[in-house]
Amino acid sequence: MAQLKLEHNGVTACGTELYLLNMGPQHPSTHGVLRVLLELDGETVVQATPVMGYLHRGLEKLAEARTYPQFIPYTDRLDYVSSMCNNLAYCQTVEKLIGAEVPERAEYIRVIMAELNRIASHMLFIGATALDLGGMSGMMYTFRDREYILDLFNLASGSRLTYSYVRIGGVMNDISPEFIELLRKFLADLPGMLTEYDNLINGNEIFQARLKGVSIVPVGRLISQGVTGPVLRASGIDYDLRVKKPYGIYNRFQFAVPTGSVGDNWERYLMRVLEISESAKIIAQALENLPEGPVMAKIAKVIKPPVGEVYHANETPRGELGFHIVSDGSTKPYRLHIRRPTFYNLGCVNALCQGVKIADVAAVLAVLDPCMGEADA
Amino acid sequence: MQESASLWVGLGRVIKQAVLAATGAPWVAELVHTLAGVVGILSIILLSALVLVYLERKVCAWMQMRLGPNRLGPFGMFQTIADIIKLMTKEDIQPAQVSPVMWGLAPILLFMAAMTTYAVIPFDAGVIFADLNIGIFFFVAVGSQATLPMLMAGWSSNNKYAMLGGMRTVAQMISYEIPLVFSLLGVVMITGSMKMSDIVKAQEGLWFIVTQPIAFLVYLIASVAETNRTPFDLVEAESELVAGPFTEYSGMRWAYFFLAEYAFMVGASCIAATLFLGGWNGPFLPGWIWFFIKVAAMIFLFMWFRWTFPRIRVDQLMSFGWKVLLPLSIVNVVVTGIGLWLFFPLV
Amino acid sequence: MFGIGLIKGLSVTLRRCFSKPNTVEYPEQRLPVGPMFRGGTLDLNQEKCIACSLCALACPNNAIELATEKTESGKKALTLYRHHMPVCLFCNYCVEACPTQAIHWTQDYEMSSLTYDEQIIDCMAAKGGAR
Repeated sequence: MAQLKLEHNGVTACGTELYLLNMGPQHPSTHGVLRVLLELDGETVVQATPVMGYLHRGLEKLAEARTYPQFIPYTDRLDYVSSMCNNLAYCQTVEKLIGAEVPERAEYIRVIMAELNRIASHMLFIGATALDLGGMSGMMYTFRDREYILDLFNLASGSRLTYSYVRIGGVMNDISPEFIELLRKFLADLPGMLTEYDNLINGNEIFQARLKGVSIVPVGRLISQGVTGPVLRASGIDYDLRVKKPYGIYNRFQFAVPTGSVGDNWERYLMRVLEISESAKIIAQALENLPEGPVMAKIAKVIKPPVGEVYHANETPRGELGFHIVSDGSTKPYRLHIRRPTFYNLGCVNALCQGVKIADVAAVLAVLDPCMGEADA
Repeated sequence: MQESASLWVGLGRVIKQAVLAATGAPWVAELVHTLAGVVGILSIILLSALVLVYLERKVCAWMQMRLGPNRLGPFGMFQTIADIIKLMTKEDIQPAQVSPVMWGLAPILLFMAAMTTYAVIPFDAGVIFADLNIGIFFFVAVGSQATLPMLMAGWSSNNKYAMLGGMRTVAQMISYEIPLVFSLLGVVMITGSMKMSDIVKAQEGLWFIVTQPIAFLVYLIASVAETNRTPFDLVEAESELVAGPFTEYSGMRWAYFFLAEYAFMVGASCIAATLFLGGWNGPFLPGWIWFFIKVAAMIFLFMWFRWTFPRIRVDQLMSFGWKVLLPLSIVNVVVTGIGLWLFFPLV
Repeated sequence: MFGIGLIKGLSVTLRRCFSKPNTVEYPEQRLPVGPMFRGGTLDLNQEKCIACSLCALACPNNAIELATEKTESGKKALTLYRHHMPVCLFCNYCVEACPTQAIHWTQDYEMSSLTYDEQIIDCMAAKGGAR
């Protein structure tokens, strides 16, 4: 949008000006404590600068003073919406470092829990996006259905949000037949829930008009920023770590990876909705083939890995979550670095917000699905 | 013109005769009669706002699988009283940098505009405060005055968010005034007069919603936009601008805006009930009860829309108003004109 | 133009409007928390406790403050056992580490108080050991 300036005798007589608007850390729609500095020309955004760090808790430094098993509850609090996936990524990294073998039953349970958590996280995403765009009822429906999953997790691990369920060498405890019964019931109800979201949220023309065709960014920009997860897949790149670099037993499951083509907000939103059905397929296959056996390997009480470093990454609902551990042979890591997907995803907020209206900034932040606990660690 | 048999007209007559008997001066009786009308209208507005604040939360809760207010009083009915007490006892903060006169006047002017439009609404046969010859025109004219106080509030608040909200309001309300007026034109053309009682009388056989469905649809969408309700509530879009032009108001001043918004919503529902749903016509029950039922149905429609739809963006709003609603309403006027010429040729 | 999608959305909310709400009216009704729920403070059974301090060592955040002394028979006994709830992560490591299963969760989630000191629970004073 061009700027007007009428000069008279070298003095600006009349003109337009850019102004700064601060969508501050406390804001109803920045998904946590994220600050976005907007430079606006009327209603159009010229520059959007995200400022992160308001939730920094020094987890990477804390890790240097905790033993390997003791760090697991801290990984829960990274991306608190998908705790199981974080636990899984960290435990698999440590298992890679010490060369541990996880029993079969534990592997299947891990897959079930991770995919259930993916469904819960995506349901929260749908609700939060509907809320940010003004359809407040949409949030209530998804949060209500997410309660079923949280009840399942409460049954298995005793906690509703921060589980510490996946441990080094296996899982915390076995799942009961009651859990499997409830899980089957949930999977049977899931298509009905998705149809309701289709009718209320996805199929709504106003919702689609808000998201379609907005914030199309060239793929090269996203790749050079390090964006992963559904945001990247919406632009056509078929990169899902569960398929490209399978970890655990993911290579045994048949599932599709939803990929978009246009790369606008609508496709970023749609990817996650489609992923819910794919995760349900994985859980059904895992339940079918669930073997009997122990759920915890024989790991030493005190873990002293050999000197070395390892990097391992998982596909969480937000993208590629990686742990880089440098060990110096003692019980505590020398350095632990977390490759946090939200941090990189939020780096392209400026590119995504070029030339959009203020209302779209809220929509962009919503479909990026940031979790500030993860972005700031 | 026969005397109406309505309860409220009878009540007015009784009051007039009582005052006449007491004082003996006819002008005093007229004055008291008029004042009774004003009190009646004010009580309608305030009572309806009282009930609507509570009902909105209840309907919202039911649509979201919740219970809504249920702690204060039976079924939570005293929630509004608690809200009012809270608003009245809140500290009246006036930020230092606002323009005091404009800032203070804005809520009052908005509420005045909302209140004045009730003067031409026919609650029952003969129960209109002022049965003007230009009834519906008066409503539109006074209702469109609501744009100015919003802009005043936004500008004088000396706050970027408020200014953005004020600008958006003006754009939105101006864009949707015109389709609103055109949609009402069809009804006026069929009736042949702008007088409210004539319009209601013309619907004794068939409601205008049957002969003017497109006009009703356009009116519905335009009135949702005029009253700043979702999906057109980007003026006060909570998730983006926190509160739009009302950001700097607290306590009773904010309550005025709130009241005015509900008054406008009820006013728009009353006009829809009058012009499209047959006014106070209906069998068995007295006219004003039918009117009340129709207005309640329209208000439920407004609330239903609010709790289902997401918000529209400002440029989509403008393009929808100018490129879709306006041509539609003009087409409606043209088709109505052709229809009238074909079926009722001028003698 | 707008059309079917909006009507479908309206039908969803209308159907929900007239169906049973999902509210649990707290505090009159409470949802049951499962048997494994990790909440509240630690319920210490002093007869079972052998004062091995494994729970305090396992805790990632040093939320258990305990002190022991040697008794005449040569065994260790507890003199102090405090659970610092504000820094507790509720991760269950202490319960899992205990060899005699002397500590369990009280599973109480209504743990708010007016002062910070009330949040540091003296588990020996509270007569525990129900399980």
